[in-house]
Amino acid sequence: MIEIKNLRKAYGGRTVLDIEELHIKKGECVVLTGHNGSGKSTLLKILAGTEKKSEGSVITRGQIYYLPQQSLPFNKSVRKNLLFCLEGKRKEKNEKCNELLDAFELRHLENKNAGTLSGGECQRLALARVLCRRADIILLDEPSSAADSKGRALINSLIKKYCERTGCTLVMTTHTGEYPEIKGLRIIGLCDGITVSKKEADGNDA
Amino acid sequence: MKKLLCAALALTMLFALAACGGGSENKVIRMSTTTSVNDSGLLPYLLPVFEEATGYTVEVQSAGTGAAIQKAVDGNADLILVHSKASEETFVADGYGVERIPFMYNYFVVVGPEKDPAKIAGSANAAEAFGKIADKKASFVSRGDDSGTHKAEVKIWGESVPDAEKDSWYISAGAGMGACLTMASEKGAYCLTDKATFLSNKADLDLEIILSEGEDMKNTYSLIECNPEKLEGINTEGAKALIEWMTGEEASALIAKYGEEQYGEALFYLIEE
Amino acid sequence: MLLSMDREILQIIGVTLRMSFFSTVISCLIGMPLGILITSTSFKGKRTVRKLINTLMGLPPVVAGLIVYMLFSKNGIFGSMGLLFTVEVMVIAQCLLITPVVISLTGSVCSVNGKNLLENARGLAFGKGKTVRLFLLQNRASLVSVVLTAFGRSIAEVGAVSIVGGNIQWKTRVMTTAIMLETNKGNFTLALALGLVLLSISFIVNVFASLLSEKEGEE
Repeated sequence: MIEIKNLRKAYGGRTVLDIEELHIKKGECVVLTGHNGSGKSTLLKILAGTEKKSEGSVITRGQIYYLPQQSLPFNKSVRKNLLFCLEGKRKEKNEKCNELLDAFELRHLENKNAGTLSGGECQRLALARVLCRRADIILLDEPSSAADSKGRALINSLIKKYCERTGCTLVMTTHTGEYPEIKGLRIIGLCDGITVSKKEADGNDA
Repeated sequence: MKKLLCAALALTMLFALAACGGGSENKVIRMSTTTSVNDSGLLPYLLPVFEEATGYTVEVQSAGTGAAIQKAVDGNADLILVHSKASEETFVADGYGVERIPFMYNYFVVVGPEKDPAKIAGSANAAEAFGKIADKKASFVSRGDDSGTHKAEVKIWGESVPDAEKDSWYISAGAGMGACLTMASEKGAYCLTDKATFLSNKADLDLEIILSEGEDMKNTYSLIECNPEKLEGINTEGAKALIEWMTGEEASALIAKYGEEQYGEALFYLIEE
Repeated sequence: MLLSMDREILQIIGVTLRMSFFSTVISCLIGMPLGILITSTSFKGKRTVRKLINTLMGLPPVVAGLIVYMLFSKNGIFGSMGLLFTVEVMVIAQCLLITPVVISLTGSVCSVNGKNLLENARGLAFGKGKTVRLFLLQNRASLVSVVLTAFGRSIAEVGAVSIVGGNIQWKTRVMTTAIMLETNKGNFTLALALGLVLLSISFIVNVFASLLSEKEGEE
């Protein structure tokens, strides 16, 4: 659950985000759209707690995982990247890791250093790291921006599956116009930091 | 701009040359001496009087006797003031020094913890005391730095110099007198020291004089003028003037008085000719 | 000349390496996590802490030596431990000197891509320990040079170790204090030879470390 009231963020004297009110219910999926600089990423950063708000109130409930726009590959193999993020016993971690490698089509790269991956591969790995544990809220900033169309489809279907399986709240940004086909998905358009349009979407009709 | 720089450079060099040449009279005397002479405060007490009287400036470099002599051999001193007869004689014999002039002496003392764990008090001389220390394996801090004091230690040990590697009670500190005394105080160890340095540091030390004035503990200081025929750039006139003054009446009177006021006894005695 | 006293020189090299190794390890174990935490977290008084560390970086070795000496001397707080004039207390003095350097260098190494990495770590809800591990992992090539700097400082330091170690033959004498001693004795040639030995040790350690980090890089 996310509740935003009178949220304002300014860098220096310039207001980049000004949202009067926004409620996102538990289990709801939201896609933020808008041009570059419209404040999408800033909103996610504030929700994730990596950026401080200037004023207003933001209430979130539950475990949050956040995928930043610039996701860094950790300096070790793809497999170890995932193991590093997983928790639990060694055996469980290995099983979960294998599952993820297959699901995210990273199996053939498992022993490669993550730093040598292509942009799309790297994004799949970063997403796998975020989605490898159970969360209440998932924040994804342009999760498929570097992928080709096939990659984007894969990523969107993986996000969809995760949300349906866990029932988590999802907030993601995109500027490609493609997003997971989740029932009840809400699309919110941002322009100059202000929410301009809200609509319910049933599938990819935007 | 370039011209200006050149001019400035030339001017600087001119000054440097003038400073080097110093006219016919060199007013700086370079004295190389041991730490014990300097640390005891004798030189800071004497030299201002000399400088006032003659207009010379004395630059004192203090180090262990070994280094003090080496500096003179390297031509970095006009005269030396040290206390190690054998080294001094070699220095003169090798032609670096003109003449060895013994001019004052004092006594080494054996200091140690008040309890005197090796019961050396009352020994006839330092050699006997050292023997007792070795028997009891009581801690002993050695200078271990080839200084005059270290050479005196070695002479007293004679044949039975302990081996620092095997005898863990024998601590070879490789340090100056003050540092060795501090270490002896920390470790509750014995130490051979010149009386002057000990008395001037006594307030900070947990040590007492256990043995003094044995005949093998005499410590003679000599002045040696560096030989201008062997070494270059020696201020012979300055060195001669300083030696003459140090062995003269005024300095003698000052030396004989030194320490009486502060410690109630003279720290150095003049050699009567 | 070096050959004639090789056994003692080997022993001195041994003490030197032992002391430098332990001071490097301990100061890196303390300094690197602290450096990362200071860089990666925001807290009140962060600037003051930074300034304090920079000041400590400029702490003259003799002052550090003096402080440790007073703490461990007979009348000091830790006097009863009887550690004065031992290799252990030399390591302590060295750590006091090197740890601020390690903290500061680690901080600047990790701030290169720090903001981005931190965003990733926060996004994955890593705790403090995991964040520190991630920073170490991500910057390990540059951190090797931090370790080397620490080692270089420690092996070349003379002021503090001579005060607290006492330059005792067969016990606490290290390369630098041995060089000082030989210089004081007037054995300039031997002092220089020892200096060359010290230089070669630093060189070998550097070569070894760069080989190690190259190998890491290939993986």
